[in-house]
Amino acid sequence: MVRRHFTFLWILAIALFVGCSSGDKDATRAAGKARDFYTIGMSQCNLGEPWRVQMNADLKAAADKHPNIEIVFKDAQNDTLKQRAHVEEFVSAGVDLLIISPKEAAPLTEPVAKAVDAGIPVIVLDRAVQGDNYTCFIGADNKLIGKAAGAWLAKKLGDKGKVVELKGLMTSIPGHDRHSGFLEGIAGSGLEVIFEADMKWLEPDARKEMDSALARFDTIDAVYAHNDPGAHGAYLAAKAAGREKDIVFVGIDALPQEGVAYVAQGILSATFQYPTGGAEAIDTALRILAGEEVPKKIVLGSRLFTADNVKQGGEPL
Amino acid sequence: MPPDKPLAAMAGIHKHFGGVEVLRDVRFEVFGGEVHVLAGENGAGKSTLIKILAGVYCDFQGTIEIDGRRVRPRSPIEARAMGVAVIHQELSLVPSMSVADNLFLGQPLTNRGLVRDGEHRRQARTLLGQLGIEPDVNRAVEDLPIGTRQLVEIAKALRHDARVIVMDEPTSALTAPEVERLFALIQCLKAQGRAIVYITHKMEEIERIADRITVLRDGLWVGTAPARELPTPKLIQWMIGREVESQFPRHQPRPGPVLLRVEDFSVFDGSRRGRPLVDRVSLSVRSGEILGIGGLQGSGASELLMGLFGGYGRLAQGRAWLDETPLAIRSPRHAIRRGIALLTNDRKATGLVLSMSIVANATMADLARLSPGGWRRPRGEWAAAARLGRALNLRAASLGMEAGELSGGNQQKVALAKWLQTDPRLLLLDEPTRGVDVGAKHEIYELMNQWTSRGIGIILITSEMPELLAMSDRIVVMHRGRVTSQLSREEATADRVLEAAMGKQMENLAT
Amino acid sequence: MNTSERTPLRAIATSLGSPAGRALVALLLVLVLGGVVNAEGACFKLGPHRGMLRQAAVCGIRACGMTLVIITGGIDLAVGSVLALVAVSFSLMTIHWAWSAWLAAPLALAIGAACGGVSGTLAARLRLQPFIATLAMMVFARGMAKWVSGGQKISTAVQNADGTYRYVDVPGVFRAIDSRIFGDNLSVVTLIFLACAALTWIALARHRWGRELYAIGGNEEAARLSGVPVVWAKTLAYVVCGVLVAVAGICQAAQEQQGDPEAGMGYELTAIAIVVIGGTNLMGGRGGIGLTLIGTLTIGYLDKILSVNAVPEAGRLVLTGIIIVAAVLTQKRRRW
Repeated sequence: MVRRHFTFLWILAIALFVGCSSGDKDATRAAGKARDFYTIGMSQCNLGEPWRVQMNADLKAAADKHPNIEIVFKDAQNDTLKQRAHVEEFVSAGVDLLIISPKEAAPLTEPVAKAVDAGIPVIVLDRAVQGDNYTCFIGADNKLIGKAAGAWLAKKLGDKGKVVELKGLMTSIPGHDRHSGFLEGIAGSGLEVIFEADMKWLEPDARKEMDSALARFDTIDAVYAHNDPGAHGAYLAAKAAGREKDIVFVGIDALPQEGVAYVAQGILSATFQYPTGGAEAIDTALRILAGEEVPKKIVLGSRLFTADNVKQGGEPL
Repeated sequence: MPPDKPLAAMAGIHKHFGGVEVLRDVRFEVFGGEVHVLAGENGAGKSTLIKILAGVYCDFQGTIEIDGRRVRPRSPIEARAMGVAVIHQELSLVPSMSVADNLFLGQPLTNRGLVRDGEHRRQARTLLGQLGIEPDVNRAVEDLPIGTRQLVEIAKALRHDARVIVMDEPTSALTAPEVERLFALIQCLKAQGRAIVYITHKMEEIERIADRITVLRDGLWVGTAPARELPTPKLIQWMIGREVESQFPRHQPRPGPVLLRVEDFSVFDGSRRGRPLVDRVSLSVRSGEILGIGGLQGSGASELLMGLFGGYGRLAQGRAWLDETPLAIRSPRHAIRRGIALLTNDRKATGLVLSMSIVANATMADLARLSPGGWRRPRGEWAAAARLGRALNLRAASLGMEAGELSGGNQQKVALAKWLQTDPRLLLLDEPTRGVDVGAKHEIYELMNQWTSRGIGIILITSEMPELLAMSDRIVVMHRGRVTSQLSREEATADRVLEAAMGKQMENLAT
Repeated sequence: MNTSERTPLRAIATSLGSPAGRALVALLLVLVLGGVVNAEGACFKLGPHRGMLRQAAVCGIRACGMTLVIITGGIDLAVGSVLALVAVSFSLMTIHWAWSAWLAAPLALAIGAACGGVSGTLAARLRLQPFIATLAMMVFARGMAKWVSGGQKISTAVQNADGTYRYVDVPGVFRAIDSRIFGDNLSVVTLIFLACAALTWIALARHRWGRELYAIGGNEEAARLSGVPVVWAKTLAYVVCGVLVAVAGICQAAQEQQGDPEAGMGYELTAIAIVVIGGTNLMGGRGGIGLTLIGTLTIGYLDKILSVNAVPEAGRLVLTGIIIVAAVLTQKRRRW
């Protein structure tokens, strides 16, 4: 008995030690403050999604072009309270600017407001916070992207056809917006959604659902998936059934190694970029730090990638 | 004199398990103020009958009357409310909870929904005081000696004001003073007009406390009689349906050369602090000989056997020789390979895997040999188990039955079968007849004779004095980890063994 | 005597009383459900059944490993994240480094075995509770998967040093595993699953080691005192579980054509559900691969039926919960 307790304590102690030491390092690095050198704190809500990994990569790539700024990244691991603590740490470390991609609006509104009150400009990326106590919001519009996808598909199929929609989580706002936008986009056309299922943003689940759709319907003209892995999973299912040639696959997000790659390989017919805003955020940050006025809200444009334009890096919508 | 109306009466009880009829037209009556012993071999149906009374089984035919009212308890809780409490072999206390919490488990005293802990403790002290013990009621039950736990269990029954108290082999784990205390308590409960139903395999206990005896055999009611009309030989005849010539049939031994020699053997407890469990013991066993080890609880005899068997790993130290070749045993695997077998004193906890079949249990210790190249030969295993089953007179519907479904005596035979299958040179038997009925006991004694005549050496531990005296060719007595006496068969008497077991050092320690 | 009346009806009743019989009843109920709610006849076509066999295969392989561990009275919470680690490593080796599958596959299996070996050593030799030992492994392997992959999926889009991407072909081994044989009717993964199930079945039912696992799960102390090499046998159970999970990881990578460090979230729970629905006892000592096979089909069909009918996620979770409970209730041993 005693020995078991000891083992557990050891694990606990090591975990605490590791946790503390990494936190300290961030704080000391953030402390260096000079007029011609800026430290930017970046609070990411969850690095478990490739899209957010890409966001951090974009931020870093953009920041690396400017030798006078340094970004300190923190990952809240999908934990609202942790993200709140991260914001407070950044404030007490006295960063020059804070970029946050919040997990949820309500619980993070107050910490963001406190940062602004402490004189730290805050750029909110992708997901919004409540009220207007922040410096600038940068994000894309899922509904518009969904609508564009619907319109593109209607045009591609000549205003008629049977569509399978593989949804992300319908309890999430992006999933909801991509769904309702798509319905708007195909409204008035002859397109008909014959099968819709939640694939929880996951490729294996998308493949499973597509298997079912294929088993049930002999004619499927297009698949609209709320993300590219979903579309890819559907493609693999159709390929296994030998029906991939008859179906148009459309995805969203257009990450370089996912959606764009799939379009380049001829797997997807189209993917719509859901931009991370990393580059724009660094741009905006530099303007704020230089004392310029910036708009309160910047809506990022999406890009469409198809086989024709993927080599040129897609085209703006 | 018992009153003329029984406190509890069961009549015409039938009970099936699947297609097997385990009770047929059994009747049983118990009056207030009597100790009614329910006797019978293992598998005779005693436990089943009691479980029907206690509401564990409710799908039976027949009638139960308590206080003249027809009842049909559908759960142990209902039975308890009717005044029937069962004190099982496996105690039903929660080991990690305190004495007081255990006593009030399920029906706590509350004040506006809050548990009244103080009141619990106070009442618990009163209840236990009535039983003549004063343990710290805040202590966890697992910290108490087993005898005290039993008394706590009885206190729990009294708290529910049980008038029929069933005790299922209550003394199997108790030391002699604890048994005395229990018997005194039983007299006291009797005097209060409660009825005690007592199940035991120990003849001496039946002789001491029984007022009336009911005997079951093979699910049938054999008879009920006052204890004085049923002397031991007749009782045994009722139980097994035939006469037994001698209770302990030890043949003339023909000891051979020394088989096992042990010098300065010690076993330390896990912390390596304090007194060793076994303290520099030296002894020897000849082939064909039964060496009995006597001692009270805490004598270290069981630990000695476990240590010789490698069960303590490196906590056991000392020198030993088997067949004059040094024995360095670090694990039971080694021991088995050298031809040593240990029948542990608790077949359910350390002897059998109850969830496995008889075949699987019987072949478990010899799997390496039975499975050439690691691949099992089910047919060979089955044949081996069948052979052992015949040799041991095992009674089971099928060898594929789970060991847990067998009666105690048959379980013990399976445990023995497991060791016979390994073809041992040296058998360490720790309480081989515990919880085993008279008939099976007799069979086990006969088997011990057979084995010794084949040159196997046996070390026997038993807490039953007559068994120790009758079956051992030589007796070593231990007290607190040390050998206090070595007696030849002729020298050994109950008094001498007991004296040495209580710590009186004997002079004649020479082997 | 009652026992001598051996009518066919009684024989059926007896076999229904056995664990396998009860597991089959649960499976049958799910199949009946599929027959009733058949999505306009889709359930009577070949497609859903074929698809189910493919999807259930990977779950089934994991469940086979889990069965071994559960029979010893343990549990392996690390199956999901070890699967991800193997999927990522295997993709890295075959896609990015273009190693031969003959080299990559054994290495991937070795990674699974190593993870199982660590869990097993912690649980058996150091006597940590299996729950805690494998919980640690679950977190550790997930971290390793993310570290090895850099947090990105390892796919056929390979990043060059300058940040641009080049596209490589899907390795032949991926295509081979994700193909079908017998006139396009049987997925290779299903065959792999059946092979894994057969091997574990043989090990459990016919090898000494299998019997030792049952003994350990039923009564560890009695097993030790009967000369069963408890530490070794138990550790090996975790190792074999790790290897089976690695097989599942390779299959999953092949089916996704990529290694996803986030793969396998919650897979440990599905694996446990399959094992339990089959009727293997979570306390150890009772159960078997045959039961797990039935459990795999039960969960697989349930999944498929809900999917073909396009039941929304919320309804699926609720229904799955209800059916797990119902299935386990039919499993419950009657005590006497």
